[in-house]
Amino acid sequence: MHAGETALESHWGGGALPFGASWQKTMMWIFIVTDALLFSGLLSGYAFLRHSIPSPWPRQSEVFSIPFIALMTFILITSSMTMGTAVTASRLGDRKKALRNLIFTIIGGLAFLGCQAYEWTELIHEGARLHTNPWGPPQFGQAFFVLTGFHGSHVFSGLVILIVTAIRTAMGRTPAQGVELAGLYWHFVDLVWVFIFTLFYLL
Amino acid sequence: MDGTHAPATKRNPYRVYWITWVILLAITVTMLLAESLHMPRWFLIAFLLAFMMVKATMIGGNFMHLRYEKRNLAVMVAAGILVTSLILFLFIRPEARYVLEHTH
Repeated sequence: MHAGETALESHWGGGALPFGASWQKTMMWIFIVTDALLFSGLLSGYAFLRHSIPSPWPRQSEVFSIPFIALMTFILITSSMTMGTAVTASRLGDRKKALRNLIFTIIGGLAFLGCQAYEWTELIHEGARLHTNPWGPPQFGQAFFVLTGFHGSHVFSGLVILIVTAIRTAMGRTPAQGVELAGLYWHFVDLVWVFIFTLFYLL
Repeated sequence: MDGTHAPATKRNPYRVYWITWVILLAITVTMLLAESLHMPRWFLIAFLLAFMMVKATMIGGNFMHLRYEKRNLAVMVAAGILVTSLILFLFIRPEARYVLEHTH
């Protein structure tokens, strides 16, 4: 390799840390971007369904208990705050505080999933299915189950990651970066809910 | 800015999370109140979308620490998601209209 190529490689190659982050964190961010695009596609599909049907979309406040959805939002935002605290505590070497906040986050995640299970049960009892529902266009049920189902599955997998991270933190086997990566995923779950909450439940 | 340190202030390194939490809750309550106020539809949509983006920015910036990361990373994440989502939504609208006019 001659001098010109070496100069180009040093300029465009990015070196060992092109994003100023470890490869683990960079890979987590790339995963988050791709997963965000999955939800972007799902929300676009929802927009398509909603704009391509002649019958009016049901009023969300007549189908859902909006205060209950607000409670779910409160739980998820609070769990994100405790997760952020756990990440910083872990960085500062305060293992007890990190573990305590990880446990708070897990409790928040379980509470959110419990609320979602309750919401699904209620709607199914009222007759909501993937292809039919008592409130009008069948696409409403599809959008509801697909969007909240995908998000719920992410909450569930986030909980599994958090429980493993908490156990390893208790044993002193998780480095601070491990908690940070788990935190990134959990915050992403919260981020996706912000969009579902606004676009599906409020608009 | 090197991506290896959590945000730290001299007084309380956890302060940023509490402040973000309070602001996010305040925005959520504001959005719920707006939804129940029966304002013009176009205004409600603009209002809710604007606050949704503020919430997303706060979660990405403060909870996910993007504002402390190297700019390359923040741009890759934010621009990648935003631009692709925008393109998806822009193409959806005329297609949905076509389906509505030609299949019902």
